[in-house]
Amino acid sequence: MEKEDINAGRRRVENELRSLVGSIFVPEAKLFAMRCGCYGFYADIRGLRADDVEAFSEKIKEVMRRIGEDMGLRADFIYARKLPGSEEVVALTARELCDSCRRELASSKSSPRPDIIVLKKRR
Amino acid sequence: MRLMIPHPGHFDALKEILRVVENENLKDVHEVFMSGPPEIMGSGRAALHAALISEIKEQTAFAHQYDIRMNIIVNPSCLGGYHLTYAGYNMLRWYFNELNRAEVDAVTVAEPYLVEMLREYPMEIVVSCVSHVDSPQKAVFYEMLGADAITVDTNINRDFDVLRAIKRVSHCRIRVIVNEGCIYKCPFRYAHFNLFSHVTASRSPLAEGRPDIFSDYYFDRCISLRVRDPSQIIKSPWIRPEDLNHYEEIGIEDFKIAGRANTVAWILNAVRAYASREYDGNLIEILDCPAELKYIFYVDNNALEGCMEKWKKCNKMCNECGYCADITKKVLKLIEK
Repeated sequence: MEKEDINAGRRRVENELRSLVGSIFVPEAKLFAMRCGCYGFYADIRGLRADDVEAFSEKIKEVMRRIGEDMGLRADFIYARKLPGSEEVVALTARELCDSCRRELASSKSSPRPDIIVLKKRR
Repeated sequence: MRLMIPHPGHFDALKEILRVVENENLKDVHEVFMSGPPEIMGSGRAALHAALISEIKEQTAFAHQYDIRMNIIVNPSCLGGYHLTYAGYNMLRWYFNELNRAEVDAVTVAEPYLVEMLREYPMEIVVSCVSHVDSPQKAVFYEMLGADAITVDTNINRDFDVLRAIKRVSHCRIRVIVNEGCIYKCPFRYAHFNLFSHVTASRSPLAEGRPDIFSDYYFDRCISLRVRDPSQIIKSPWIRPEDLNHYEEIGIEDFKIAGRANTVAWILNAVRAYASREYDGNLIEILDCPAELKYIFYVDNNALEGCMEKWKKCNKMCNECGYCADITKKVLKLIEK
């Protein structure tokens, strides 16, 4: 795993979204580890709307899953985050959940929060 | 006991929450509350969902099927004077009319002018904790304006002399927020509410000229302050599920569980704890505070048994006492990862 792999992931999200939707930018991508025990790949998104995510949910999920896999993640929770109170999607995340966050994020039948569009969850 | 419980705003969440309430026979749940639409105005807390009036109507009807009331939160601490313009007044009139037509049961507001405006409607007028009612005088003032219920300033949650005095002079129903995770006498409190009031008004006329902030200074400082001094977590005016009876003894029966910006699973965990009046685990998990804290600290709720007796008599002169600092050493542990 090298730093260029993160940028390759960033580019891949950007290119895939552009091919699906049009003018989309991914200004920043991160590989992260949280104190709770979660790991993940996170991409800031500009130009994407909730409708686009719903229309291409399977494809977007698959892109994020594969990028995560390439980085050694077993992404069991993949989601888009909207700007609260709007339809603007500002981030995509593929996250390997710790037990605590699995209970909090993946245990409910509905989306855990109204600003989150769940693309994949493993309870 | 009557529980007022949070709702993040999306209809699926309400369905899931109320099914659990019904299936688990959580009969003390009396009301759900959710943010109003950001098109109208902001809110004292993060608002994650923009419910349209039609959706509020649909959700209210759904809650009524479960015999649960719907309360819409309209509690920005700052309206930038917009409410005192003709355009603002007309918009608010329209909005309250629509909420009334949607058969909403209660509206929670922080601005005194809105309390008076709401007198024209049959909806219950609830004063928000953002109004910082912390004395009998202030309670009487809001009652005179037309309030039906008052959510008291959480800073007096453990001040039983003041709570008793408010109960004595006010005819309003008194609510306390039970899972308050904010810092006691937080120096950032007013400024943070003001910031939220503007940033959550994403599409209202109040958003005009809204600065593009580089960070939520108050949020970051709040966490940092507690990381350096964990006794602040113990001093926060939360009320354990096991201690609700102390409030019932002085005639307070309405308990609000804060946390409308949290996940459905988090909300259900907190509701179950307070409905059953017991919780076995890390108290921070049910407090409405930055989630990071629960990954850093473990507060053994069972080990806090009996502390309320001391806090009920506390004169809040922390520099002369040291009780909370001592308790912190006994009940709070750093989570090693």
